[in-house]
Amino acid sequence: MRILRLAQVRLGAMAMLSLLTLSACLLVAGLPRVLQGSYDEALHRALQDAPAQLADLTVQTRSRGGPDDLHEPGQFASRDARLRSLVPPRLRPLVSAPGQMSAKTYDTPVHLSGGQTYINLAWLSDGERRVEWVDGRAPGKPTTTRWSGSEIPLFEVGIVEEARTTMPLKIGDVRILGESDYAAVKIVGVFRAKDPGARYWSHDIDVLHVTQVQPPGKLELERRTTALISSAGLAALSGADRNLIYSWVLPVAPTAAASLDVPELRAAVEDYGHVVTLQPAGADSQYRLETELPGLLDTFGTALGTAQTVMFLVLGGLLVVALGVLVLAVQLLAERIDHPLALARARGGSLRQVAGTGAALVALAVVPAALAGWGLAFLVPGPVPWIAHAGPALVPLTAVGYAAARLAMTHRTPLHERRDDVAAARPSARRITLELLVVGLALAGAYLLRARGLTTGGQDPFLLFVPVALTVAAALITIRCYPLPLKLLVRLAARGRLAVPFLGLTRAARARSASVLPVLILLPALAVSVFGTVISGGLSTTQRLASWQSVGAPIKLTSPVELPPDAIERVRKVPGVRLLVPAQTATAQIGYGGERADIIAVDLAQWRRLLDGAPISVPLTASGASGIPVLVSHELRGRGTFEIAWYERMKVTTAGEIASLPGFYPRGKFIVLPFATNKRPGVNTLLIKGEADHAALLAATGQPKAELTSQEQALAAIEDDPMTGTVQNILLITAVALAVYALIAVLVTLVIGAADRARALSFLRTLGLSDRQARGLTVLEILPLILITSLAGLALGLGLPAALGPGIDLSAYAGDLAVGDYSADPVMPVVLAAGLATVAVLGTYAHTAISRRRSLGAVLRVGDLA
Amino acid sequence: MSPTLSELEAKAAEKKAAFGGDAHIVCDNLVRIYKTEGVEVVALQGLDLLIQEGELVAVVGASGSGKSTLLNVLSGLDVPTAGVARVAGMDLLSMTAKDRLRYRRDIVGFVWQQTARNLLPYLTARENVELPMKLAGRSGMSKARRERAAELLDLLGVASCADRKVPEMSGGEQQRVAIAVALANSPQLVLADEPTGELDSETSEEVFGALRKANGELGVTVVIVTHDPLVSERVDRTIGIRDGRTSSETLRREGVAEEYAVLDRVGRLQLPHDFMNALDMERRVRLELESDHIGVWPAREEPSNEQ
Repeated sequence: MRILRLAQVRLGAMAMLSLLTLSACLLVAGLPRVLQGSYDEALHRALQDAPAQLADLTVQTRSRGGPDDLHEPGQFASRDARLRSLVPPRLRPLVSAPGQMSAKTYDTPVHLSGGQTYINLAWLSDGERRVEWVDGRAPGKPTTTRWSGSEIPLFEVGIVEEARTTMPLKIGDVRILGESDYAAVKIVGVFRAKDPGARYWSHDIDVLHVTQVQPPGKLELERRTTALISSAGLAALSGADRNLIYSWVLPVAPTAAASLDVPELRAAVEDYGHVVTLQPAGADSQYRLETELPGLLDTFGTALGTAQTVMFLVLGGLLVVALGVLVLAVQLLAERIDHPLALARARGGSLRQVAGTGAALVALAVVPAALAGWGLAFLVPGPVPWIAHAGPALVPLTAVGYAAARLAMTHRTPLHERRDDVAAARPSARRITLELLVVGLALAGAYLLRARGLTTGGQDPFLLFVPVALTVAAALITIRCYPLPLKLLVRLAARGRLAVPFLGLTRAARARSASVLPVLILLPALAVSVFGTVISGGLSTTQRLASWQSVGAPIKLTSPVELPPDAIERVRKVPGVRLLVPAQTATAQIGYGGERADIIAVDLAQWRRLLDGAPISVPLTASGASGIPVLVSHELRGRGTFEIAWYERMKVTTAGEIASLPGFYPRGKFIVLPFATNKRPGVNTLLIKGEADHAALLAATGQPKAELTSQEQALAAIEDDPMTGTVQNILLITAVALAVYALIAVLVTLVIGAADRARALSFLRTLGLSDRQARGLTVLEILPLILITSLAGLALGLGLPAALGPGIDLSAYAGDLAVGDYSADPVMPVVLAAGLATVAVLGTYAHTAISRRRSLGAVLRVGDLA
Repeated sequence: MSPTLSELEAKAAEKKAAFGGDAHIVCDNLVRIYKTEGVEVVALQGLDLLIQEGELVAVVGASGSGKSTLLNVLSGLDVPTAGVARVAGMDLLSMTAKDRLRYRRDIVGFVWQQTARNLLPYLTARENVELPMKLAGRSGMSKARRERAAELLDLLGVASCADRKVPEMSGGEQQRVAIAVALANSPQLVLADEPTGELDSETSEEVFGALRKANGELGVTVVIVTHDPLVSERVDRTIGIRDGRTSSETLRREGVAEEYAVLDRVGRLQLPHDFMNALDMERRVRLELESDHIGVWPAREEPSNEQ
């Protein structure tokens, strides 16, 4: 059959097939990589942002003295090696970095401090590296001293700078520790962290800071500090005398984790926890694993699951549409090579030869293109999930398989004289039953999904099934029903005087079954891109809402101390400030007991003005109540009029109830008071509207500790999440790709029907049809399909988020705020659908204009051959 | 005297010669009904046809009379609905798909009216001729194929076109190459559907000459469906088809043409339209057997009985 020669003749169709394959393979191989890359980045970010204490693996054991005690760093190191050797292979790459070891006492009271002061002792394996001595010297060897008639160990210790002032302690101080087993500590040095922000300090935060807590029922603060001892000091440290804990920290490298391995990682951590517990740690003690890594991975897994579901839907839709367009292009090529194959079949070609030739021709176009697309995708950075290989393999397989099957069907008998002019026969009862079943199943599935919600965690196959079923159902209904309104129109047009509408609509209503494929492509293409736009729109709206809720104003300026009136005036005069609402925040005692609540005194009416145009608002206090009208949170409801103490005792009356106060209190006990409650307001918060320079605002307060947050910053922080950005980008790329595919589908449909249409038009032109009328006829023939399919796709795309609403929880990407408002901007989807329809119509016009150039005779003659 | 039982038995057991005997093409009561979306068209309504091996026969008939359907059936492209169709001893009705393929490869070759439909435009004449051989998986040696193609093109007088592609050839050349393609696998039968339909008379002459040459020199049976008197008047036998049945045959012996009506196996006969019109024959006629012929008279007027 001279396949190469045939390919050369049909270069156009071959090139289109190649291009479509290339783009489809590139998309299905590339986008998952981008996604997987962003998932990984999000995982790294999640682990990086979590305190090391939570993310790292910490193996601890409690020494009970005697043989359990470790007296030199070498013993720690050998146990470290042993513990590391137990790490499951899956986890090993994550904890390859050298870690820290420590020995720490806890709850080590200072003798006769009445349980108010504690000085714990700590040895850090890399202490020298982490601290610098600002005063005195590093501690040396322990010695002994006599106290209370007995010999007790004397540790030389270093304390943190903060302990000097808070505890207070100074160099040279000697303290006796313990209430029954005594030891003495002598402070020889004061240190500070070389890099207080380093991750490793997360494990030893007690070394860097003095802990002060107020024990219940006591007036005095309880203070705890942890002092550093030298390696030599280990020799004198025993679990027999103190609460002593040895720790080995296996730091988790956030960047070594891959999102694909999350389930395995989680299991590996649990395994490690079990293995470690079974290891003998000493005569009387056990190891235990302290980590929050599984929890972190679970949280990430939930966010990942949602993103994967949405992306699976969108990318799956893209793949389906790409395959559909590819099949359409194969159909075009098949029609183009129909003559050679039919001739070969008539002249003694077997079915295998004929179908094989067609399949080989298609393979010639798609296989190199698929390889190229698959190869090009390697330029896209990111890890490679299996779908990045399976997708590009599926594309050429579908094309070649479809070509072979279609040609085998067409050329089953050598003489295939089709009667395209005969309207399709009535569908069989079996087919109608099947279609009704599919529609019923889809609707039932959507109902169940809404009623039941999702299984928690992981992929929910049901969630993936429902949109597919709904799309198929919508396509079936469209295909089955779209001739009905047309026939009605045809009847109307038949009464009119104009021939063109009648002819055009009649042709549209009698379109042969080939128009099923464009419907099957256009519908999901529009549905998925509209779905993507709606999801993406809902996401950005909710992100914006979340940012407003977290800040409560365009700009919020807070100060730990009161801002004097002149400072407020200065801020008010900063250029760009359009409105300034002062507020006072504090905590107040409720009644006479220990119950306290957050309070804010603010002019709600002014605040509302400030929030003009923002997606949030604050309620107004109903006036007219006796006493001071206040808004209270749910937790304070039902109290009517009650007393609070804030500067002075006052009676407040519940005038309303709110769930949360944007920018201040998302939950808990809080009260909103009128601004003028206090005779002399102590303003510490300013809510500002305007485009003022942030630095200028801060400077105007004259208060160095003042802090400024803005809604824009909050929004940027929410949007900064790598997964959110990628989800948005992928939705955009997919929407564009789908629009292009839909357009190609329309054009290919036009080209496939071109010969037939040209012949019909030529016959009509011999009867006196003008060029203009011919164009109108073509447009009228194509337009109904595009319009009705566009409308169906638009409706499906707008309806899908509502149908799947409870199944898709995008709150992880919207500042933990549930994304519920999918009714967002319908303009974008409508523009999308309308744009597509317009371009399709323009394509039809162009196509008619081109075919006009051919002479009537030629067209009619060519028509004879078909 | 009535025959005895044993005589009847012997008569039943006696093998009757099949209709047509050893004719190359046998069609007996051939029926072909097309069904498309509920619409039935009877294209062949019990057609009988006998053609001997090595004959050159023209089939003529009005448009829609079933000529092309007959040709499609004979070429193995179409399957008749009922009746008998046998070519070279192969039963076209009971053939499996495999047999049918073998039949198209080995037994039959055909030429369509539209020159463009016969050839692949992107191949040269020689490649077109080689194509059926390749499809049949014949003569593994490409050299043999090449020689056969050259031989055929030479025989049909288009050797000069061997390396030209279809658009570079005239209509007559294309049609002669198409005949070469049809002859590529040395078939026993060549069917041509209006091979000169698109050509002027001079070119038609060449194409007909080519077919006649194939018939004469290669001994191939040739059946030509035609409207062209140039063709139909120059073959030995012309078969007329009307309403899906063979209606007349014209035999030419030594330049003298004699037209015969076809009498089928059960004795049916189609009278030519103009004969019937001339004598106003309708519904029924009166037959009278004479010693050497049968007389056909218009029915007598019998008004009383007609009531």
